[in-house]
Amino acid sequence: MGQQIVNGLFLGSIYALFALGYTLVFGVLDILNLAHQAVFMLCAYVALALVVHLHLPMPIAFPLAVVAGGLLGVVVDRLAFRPLRGRSDSNISGLISSIALATILEALALQFFGPDVERFPFGIVPDRSLRLGDAVISELQLVIIGIAVSMLAVLTWVLRRTTLGRRIRAVAENPVAARVLGVNVDRVIASSFFVSSALGGAAGVLFGLAFNSVSPDMGRTVELKGLAVIILGGMGSMPGAAIAGFALGLLEVFTVAKIGSSYRDAVAFGVLFLVLVVRPRGLLGPAALREA
Amino acid sequence: MNGESLRDLWLTYQSTVAFIGLNGLLALSVYTTLSCGQLSLAQAGFMALGSYASAILTLHTSAPFPVVLLAGTLVPAVVAIPLGLPVLRLKGVFLAIATIGFGEVVRIFFVNLDFTNGALGLVAIPQRTGLVAIYLALAGALFILWRIRGSRAGYALEAIREDEPAARTMGIHASAYKLSMVVLGAGFAGLAGALDAHFNFIVAPANYSFGRVVDMLVYAVVGGTTVFYGPVVGAAFLTLLPEVLREVGSRVGLQPGPLRLFVNGLVLLLVILFLPNGIVSLPRRVRRWLETRRAAAHAA
Amino acid sequence: MRLVSCSVAAAIALLAHPAAAAETVKIGAVFSLTGNAAAYGAQQKAGVALAADEINKSGKLPGITLEVVLEDDGTSPQQGISVFDRLINMNKVSAIIGPTLSTLAEAADPRAQAQKTPVVAVSNTKPNAITTIGDYIWRVSLTEAQVIPSAVDIARKKLGFKTAAILYGNDDAFTKAGFDVMKSSLEKAGVQILGIQTFSTKDRDFNAQLTALKGLKPDVLLVSALVEQAGSIAVQARQLGYTGPIMGGNGFNSTKFIQLAGPAAEGVLVGTAWNRASLDPVNQAFIAAMKARGVDPDQFGAQAYTGVLVIADAIRQAGLKGGRDDIKAGFAKVKDLPTPLGKFSFLPSRDGDHPAAVQIVKSGKFEILE
Repeated sequence: MGQQIVNGLFLGSIYALFALGYTLVFGVLDILNLAHQAVFMLCAYVALALVVHLHLPMPIAFPLAVVAGGLLGVVVDRLAFRPLRGRSDSNISGLISSIALATILEALALQFFGPDVERFPFGIVPDRSLRLGDAVISELQLVIIGIAVSMLAVLTWVLRRTTLGRRIRAVAENPVAARVLGVNVDRVIASSFFVSSALGGAAGVLFGLAFNSVSPDMGRTVELKGLAVIILGGMGSMPGAAIAGFALGLLEVFTVAKIGSSYRDAVAFGVLFLVLVVRPRGLLGPAALREA
Repeated sequence: MNGESLRDLWLTYQSTVAFIGLNGLLALSVYTTLSCGQLSLAQAGFMALGSYASAILTLHTSAPFPVVLLAGTLVPAVVAIPLGLPVLRLKGVFLAIATIGFGEVVRIFFVNLDFTNGALGLVAIPQRTGLVAIYLALAGALFILWRIRGSRAGYALEAIREDEPAARTMGIHASAYKLSMVVLGAGFAGLAGALDAHFNFIVAPANYSFGRVVDMLVYAVVGGTTVFYGPVVGAAFLTLLPEVLREVGSRVGLQPGPLRLFVNGLVLLLVILFLPNGIVSLPRRVRRWLETRRAAAHAA
Repeated sequence: MRLVSCSVAAAIALLAHPAAAAETVKIGAVFSLTGNAAAYGAQQKAGVALAADEINKSGKLPGITLEVVLEDDGTSPQQGISVFDRLINMNKVSAIIGPTLSTLAEAADPRAQAQKTPVVAVSNTKPNAITTIGDYIWRVSLTEAQVIPSAVDIARKKLGFKTAAILYGNDDAFTKAGFDVMKSSLEKAGVQILGIQTFSTKDRDFNAQLTALKGLKPDVLLVSALVEQAGSIAVQARQLGYTGPIMGGNGFNSTKFIQLAGPAAEGVLVGTAWNRASLDPVNQAFIAAMKARGVDPDQFGAQAYTGVLVIADAIRQAGLKGGRDDIKAGFAKVKDLPTPLGKFSFLPSRDGDHPAAVQIVKSGKFEILE
């Protein structure tokens, strides 16, 4: 029982980290960035390459990969979203162009890395475990949960206490007014993409480490679960995404333990539906849903 | 080209021709909701329902093929009603997400249904679909959409697409129209599913994933969603492209899998950025570009 | 001087062009080179290439050159069907080897059967299927129903387990079929099944399922999975503190499994259709030749290699005729053919027949469990 709680928190921390980036971009742009999962996947490969080919230790490779993810996010914005800003149907067309970019990135990964599942070399992270009662938690799992929580804290601090954060919130509230007030909207949006994709990239590296597998299609299921998380948490709400991420992780694990593993994925979508039909704004979303 | 090599060419590519027809029908099913401004991505789920319903009928009863097809069309159409009512209240992206969720729920439902062998699906379905059936269905769908286009309903749909709140104030029952389009799209997808099941011998949940509906969306968008035949053009183009690419790719030493994916993505990106009204708008664009050049030359 | 160089040139010309025109028999090879099953496809590609080269060089089929036309099925049924159509009608192959997974075979083989083209399944292991599609479909790979029961028995005699738990992938034909056979073998052996859990081929996190099964304290854990997940499952099981024996189905039968699972692979048991430790000269020569090409062979490579040997023998049995119906008729005559898998024959059901074994992973390598 305790072990399952550990499993759930662990899985949930990765969902939360992934969803944070997702919901940040939605909060700012009212757009779902479906290329997020491709960045998630590519960062895992970047970290893998740094570790395997440049022999960098993980504590150095990880931040490098995360920064790479942020930069990749800026590229995504430049290629897929910025050219469409101003178009009347920019939400739907933005969605579609992000799908297109995700497909391109996945194809590139397939071509250059091959379709096989890779894993990080053994011994790259310490192998120790702790016993808490009848549960086993590995050092790696603790670190991952810790990173997820601290990234959430950092993000919240950035949004509340820094100038950048203020500007991001201004653009999220009303881009036109922000521009009038002298905010460089394009640059703020690019920064949001940087932060969002850095988070997504971090989630990717941690996922690859956690489950010993890196493959070009690793983003696909997480992407769909991520949707459930941001809907449950409330679109645009960081704390919501974090809470919902952990909640979904726990829910999935307990579904497997009590009901049966075949329904594991159904839980995410069941929750998605329920929330959309009963309370579309989710747990902590804004009271009035803007025209999406 | 002599007769024999023509025949061989035909046999080799007959499945491609069939897939063009099926993909065209699927693209139209996504288009029906796009035409009134809603992005509904539930079509993979509807297709699955149509495939399974028709396959079950064929395998367990001796129903004639047209009846089987009818069942495949009606089952998803009926399911679309209780799905559509709550979900059409949602705006834009939320509708898209909800419908993606629906598609996944259907897929997982079938993965867990022992009656249909769960994930393994139904196999050895007799091949009752021929090219005639596929293209008749496609023609039928195109006909329906063509009739809607020029009618009062068609204008209402366009008004909804342009500006829904304004349309409502003008007295258009937006909800009823949107629901009808969802139901129509579900019927198209179900029909395509039924035809597909009886062409490919198998029905398995893996065929009805999120990736499938993304493909359908890509066909529709690349072809063009401002005219009713646009999606079919897109489907034909994107179904033929991998076949052409296979030849090119193997000569250049690229893997066929990634190459097809890459080109699909690239074509979609280029279209959405530079040719938002799809391939069908290309002739007009080119003509206009030529005219401006001619005018500039004259002015000079 | 000119006379000498002329005769040298003439001699070279004569040696380069044999007197009789060589007939080319095309064999289509359809494997998963991309997609979930790509690890297996890579081995199969190497096995087929090696076999064809060796046969062409050895002159075993005088006057006939085997040409392998390789295609990728992308682990996708639609692609598999298109590729089959191309090979049959465009390339006009005399036979097809593959596809890699049973799921695809069920979709594509009927087309070959309808167009009267023989298919040799070299890695489809779903029992009571594949060869049931029709009389042009033949199978070299042993089905799970042929390998698992004896593997379970051998393992039970050696380890003496009384209870078991099973974890399997429920959305792939092969892993599901493996599960069905595991369940019935355990039941027949009188082993009590304490719990069953499932996962899907896209899953990467098995902690929940493994924790649930571990909590039941089974004597042995049976897993039916494709290789990429097999690796993760072994690692996560050990990480959660499960120390009991793990036994895998055919999906574990790949050096990729050892590579992915690392230390967690130690002691894992796998039933196999290929006894790599066999000292049979045909087997040893095969292993050496593959290693010389930079490939550490596994069961999939051995089976694909054998597939080509079987086709070549069928051609020989049919009187050195390489047409589709010649090959089909020749299959029926293949008997005790020396292959890396052992002496090979076809059963009346057109399934393969040769002895199976159990392997255990020791020091990062597969060894036969005696």
